[in-house]
Amino acid sequence: MLNYLIAVLVSLVVFLTGTLVALGVAFVRSRRLCERLNAELSAALRESQHRQSALDERKELDTIKDEFISTVSHELRTPLTSIRGALGLLSSGLMGKLDDKAANLLRIASTNTDRLVRLINDILDLERMESGRAPLHIRRCALHELVLQSVDTMTALAEAAHVRLIIVPEPAGDHIVFDGDPDRVQQVLCNLLSNAIKFSPAGSSVRVLTGIDGHNFVLRVEDTGRGVPQDKIESIFDRFGQVEPGDARQKGGTGLGLAICRSIVAQHHGAIWAERNDALGTERAGTTFSLRMPRIVAAAAVAAVTIQSEGAILVVDDDASARRAVTDLLHRHGYTVLETASGEQALHMAANNHVEAILLDLYMPGMSGWQTIEKLKQNAATASIPIVVLSVLSPAAGTEDRPLVANTQGWIQKPFNESLLLAELGRVLHAGTGPGRILLVEDDFDLATVVLAGFEVLDAQVSITHVSSVGEAQLACRTEPPDILILDLTLPDGSGFALVDWLRGQPTLRTLPLVVYSGRDVTPTEMEQLRLGPTQFLAKARVQPHDVEDLVLAMVRHLRTPTVQPPSA
Amino acid sequence: MRRILIIDDEDDIREVAALSLESVAGWTVCTACCGADGIKAALSELPDAILMDVMMPTMDGPTTFKEMQKSPELAHIPVILLTAKVQGVDQRRFAGLGVAAVLFKPFDPLTLAEQMSVALGWN
Repeated sequence: MLNYLIAVLVSLVVFLTGTLVALGVAFVRSRRLCERLNAELSAALRESQHRQSALDERKELDTIKDEFISTVSHELRTPLTSIRGALGLLSSGLMGKLDDKAANLLRIASTNTDRLVRLINDILDLERMESGRAPLHIRRCALHELVLQSVDTMTALAEAAHVRLIIVPEPAGDHIVFDGDPDRVQQVLCNLLSNAIKFSPAGSSVRVLTGIDGHNFVLRVEDTGRGVPQDKIESIFDRFGQVEPGDARQKGGTGLGLAICRSIVAQHHGAIWAERNDALGTERAGTTFSLRMPRIVAAAAVAAVTIQSEGAILVVDDDASARRAVTDLLHRHGYTVLETASGEQALHMAANNHVEAILLDLYMPGMSGWQTIEKLKQNAATASIPIVVLSVLSPAAGTEDRPLVANTQGWIQKPFNESLLLAELGRVLHAGTGPGRILLVEDDFDLATVVLAGFEVLDAQVSITHVSSVGEAQLACRTEPPDILILDLTLPDGSGFALVDWLRGQPTLRTLPLVVYSGRDVTPTEMEQLRLGPTQFLAKARVQPHDVEDLVLAMVRHLRTPTVQPPSA
Repeated sequence: MRRILIIDDEDDIREVAALSLESVAGWTVCTACCGADGIKAALSELPDAILMDVMMPTMDGPTTFKEMQKSPELAHIPVILLTAKVQGVDQRRFAGLGVAAVLFKPFDPLTLAEQMSVALGWN
């Protein structure tokens, strides 16, 4: 018995010792782990502080650069103003008659002053563009119109050089439309035309051709001049990269024109290049400059890749000018719009067209907005169409009327703020039931894991999908359109800007609520380029992942709230 | 005959602009070299229009313009700003001030008067 007890005790002691040793080992290991984590944490902290200070430093540098450019611009122009003015007055002969030699000298001085002014303008222009400080004013443009205007502008120069400008008509059906900054695109066209004219022999012609290439359009300016040597075909787009060193002087250019063109085209996500005509398989001398930029593909073609076809927004208001203001705004943002001045007509149109949402005035003669809402809700065909009230009444005044609250999904007060109207419409178009579908586009897997973890505990309210590239994001948007997009700007296969551009071309996605979660501060210009539906900007350096969570949850609740919310101004 | 007040701190630019308006358009020109002098000159001369530089020491063009707007004698005189800066932000800022026009340096001395006439609706 004793032996047995001793044996039990010994084995117990052995067991306990083993456990103790194991515990000790575990303890030591966990302490090491703690220390390592601690070290990693401090390293990460140092790294983040380092990044923050680098960010601050960059901002400061940008400010200094801005000021410098502004000052240089002013300081150079001030003496030039006196010189140019004095020379201009002298060479005009207004200050007294000059002999031919003196007149010629003054002409030389005047011409070169003009060239210097153009050079300064071009350098500043290029610098502003490349530093992202020259915002694009994007509008829907018809290519044909821009070509006509540019040719018009350059006609005087062409006539002086005895060169004919010919626009080769677009093939039937090639009505090319794109989203771009019309002034900037025209600047590119004028520059290409002016180059072509300058390098063309008298009596020759310069042709402008346009065509479609998939989702892009291509514009060509074809001259029959001396042709760009094959080894210069790329370098002519560099700053001061002329074919012959004296070209800029002789031809009155600055040597920066094509560099500016390339910069503008790049801002429009396009490409510009030159080819020798003889390399294109023709016998002709000369050069062809080509420009390729994304175009707006007709709605029918888009529908093939998107889930549902594009419906219209119905605008109901008896005030024609108010209606036009709303309609214009919606057209500018690519919506198909139906409009009417009366409630009766609105009922008919809503029942017989694919209407995605109704923007409705309350005070109308005949059937009022209130009555129209009631009738819309009584008809099964129109009951589910979201209604946004567009009224001089404030939402607070409107919410006293309970049936109105229950039957409308949004509210915009007149006179309306354009971005608020677009945001409210976007919210209404993406409202739905069930958990909010969120698409997280983030290439940093660690950060994505943290964000995802934050949402996991809330799985009743949101379902979140994570992708890490533009391509994957496009696929996810097509197969399962999200309610909210969280977007990092730097991605392996392109930028967040490219994804936003693509989304803007998708009828069902262009009003998607968006959270831009970027590694750097976004400039106001970039904010404009990134705006979809209701859009929020968060800088990683300034917010914690749980801030993203809070914001997205607030957006989901906003989307899922069936009653009228006073718009947060 | 039109009477113009030019306010610019650069002697040379003042002289060239004055010569240009006098010899090309035949207008009468008086000048001032800073905002404060400009306001005094405007009060004594009551010109038909004022051509004023934007960047001036002590009191810049926009500030001078705002001061002028406070004076009942000067508030109705149209002011054209002349700027050497071309940054878009500046243009928008000036446009919001309520000046008659913003012209850019360097100006063409032969067409300066014409540009001003167009901006002021003078024919």
